[in-house]
Amino acid sequence: MLTYIIRRVLIIVPMAIGISFLIYLALDLSPGDAVTRMLNPVQTVDPERIEELRRALGLDAPLLVRYWIWFSGVLQGNFGRTLTGGVPISRILMERLPATLELSTIALVLSSIFGAILGTISALRRGTTTDNVLTVAGMIGVSIPEFFFGLVAIVIFALNLQWLPVGGRLLPSYDSYWDHIPNLIMPSLVLSIMMTAGVMRYARAAMLDALSREFIKTARSKGLPEWRVNLLHGFRVALTPVVVLIGFRLPILIGGSVIVEQVFQWPGLGNLFVLSVRNKDLPTVMTIALLSVVLVLVVSLVIDILTAIIDPRVRLGGD
Amino acid sequence: MSEIAISVRNLKTFFYTNQRCNKAVNGVSFDIHKGKTLCIVGESGCGKSVTAAAIMQLLPRLSRIEDGSITYHSDQGDIHIERLPRNGPQMRAIRGAEIAMIFQDPMTALNPVFTVGFQIMENLLYHTKLRGRQLKDKAIDLLRSMGIPAPERRAEQFPHQFSGGMRQRAMIAMAMACNPKVLIADEPTTALDVTIQAQIFELMTTLKREHGTAIMLITHDMGVVAELADDVAVMYMGNIVEAGTVEDIMRRPTHPYTRALLNSIPVLGRGKNQRVLPIPGSTPDPLNRPVGCQFADRCTYRMEACNVMPAETQMTPTHRVMCWRHEELANAPRQ
Repeated sequence: MLTYIIRRVLIIVPMAIGISFLIYLALDLSPGDAVTRMLNPVQTVDPERIEELRRALGLDAPLLVRYWIWFSGVLQGNFGRTLTGGVPISRILMERLPATLELSTIALVLSSIFGAILGTISALRRGTTTDNVLTVAGMIGVSIPEFFFGLVAIVIFALNLQWLPVGGRLLPSYDSYWDHIPNLIMPSLVLSIMMTAGVMRYARAAMLDALSREFIKTARSKGLPEWRVNLLHGFRVALTPVVVLIGFRLPILIGGSVIVEQVFQWPGLGNLFVLSVRNKDLPTVMTIALLSVVLVLVVSLVIDILTAIIDPRVRLGGD
Repeated sequence: MSEIAISVRNLKTFFYTNQRCNKAVNGVSFDIHKGKTLCIVGESGCGKSVTAAAIMQLLPRLSRIEDGSITYHSDQGDIHIERLPRNGPQMRAIRGAEIAMIFQDPMTALNPVFTVGFQIMENLLYHTKLRGRQLKDKAIDLLRSMGIPAPERRAEQFPHQFSGGMRQRAMIAMAMACNPKVLIADEPTTALDVTIQAQIFELMTTLKREHGTAIMLITHDMGVVAELADDVAVMYMGNIVEAGTVEDIMRRPTHPYTRALLNSIPVLGRGKNQRVLPIPGSTPDPLNRPVGCQFADRCTYRMEACNVMPAETQMTPTHRVMCWRHEELANAPRQ
């Protein structure tokens, strides 16, 4: 078990390097660079001045050299400065990361809990109106994109009812951390919708599958009450695939937060990511990408370990 | 005659799917005697498992007991099982404590994510006053008495760490936890190999002798019947076509179906050139049954009268049969 975990952690390093290089390559292949983005398209600028700026930003070196400069910096804990403002990226990360983590964590927790509960109710009440309503709601939830939900929510709750702020997070003049809770409600709920629907549909299927097994009949034949048959014997078995699904959804949560952060102008990593890609700000894009890569790899390891804990049949690494 | 544990009278259990009705069990009557083994024999789909599920009220959602009675003769008086709500408190008090059940495949019948000890303790938790450490000790005792070596360690293990035979022993330990009056075994050895089969049957015989447990054994194996049964009921398409003591059925089989079943298995000692006769044709579609005797289409003794369902005839106090030609067949020698 421990050897397995150590091995998996060590695998993360070459994978993160490989994936980060691929992203670097892809961004380099796309037309234009940070300098072309900085220029005013109407004004003509002396080509020599442009080359000078490229040199100053270190954009004239070959791809591998640039990648190595960036990567060796990362190894020393130096993520570089943004090309478009010269601000240290680590400082921006420290500002932005809490906002995204806050949003994603709330959405993850909400959707896991509600998805599992609603899916279980749906399975236990299969064929009834409750089940049908939940199934239709689930279909709507997974098929309508988040920006649409976001815009509808803004129109209803922010513009018409004026219950909640349109967007943003902390005002510059905030007194307490709790001041932004009203700002947090809409984005976190919108981010939760799609995943709740996904988890619910999956939990329903997993639960129905578990309830159709022989051991459910055995549990009933022992004279156990229905709640114990369904929630202990059934749910416990249905839990494994649901946990795996939630793990696999985590990258989607980061992807989804890019959109939701845009819609609600949430000052998180997703918002920063979109801005940096637009400005061809390679160091910033790479840092965020590397962060997501490491996060996804770590999460998949955690999911594997969790699966081994909740399902005794799973043995990690074959030992 | 010994005391009766459960008597089933004219039991009808129907399944409803797609607006159609499958009369899976169409009026069966039998008694399960204390300390005796009743074997229910028949092909797949004849209704033997449904009969067992009906006694435990473990029928699938789309099926129900339509008619007839299942009477459990408990120490506190008769209980009409068919009148109890399916998963209500009275039914739950009977399940696992008074009537217990073991299933065909112990791998799927045990929950993979709980330890074997836990699954045995669950039964004790709901039917006895044992708590805490006593529960654990009792579970270990049960495993030991079922012939499982190192029961302390085994109780902590999960079903997938058990071999097939050990799993079925654990399953029996679970079923016998509260010393039930009746044990229903639904093809308990089908998933096991022959040597393990013999061990499991030996264990069941011991339980029957030591605890006076009534056993209802569902099987399609005539060899098992010959070895274990005290009473036999032969089922075909939801009816008991012939029933009697094991001597009645094995020595004087009367119904053409029983005879065909016996002719379709090889007999030890008759040499390798013996003729094994398969039953011609296949079982009819339960949703599109023939009129009259259900076996008529496959029967070599068919005649005009078979277009009407034959009534049940009591040939001797123990032996009954559902066939128009029972008199001549009772005297005709088997091929």
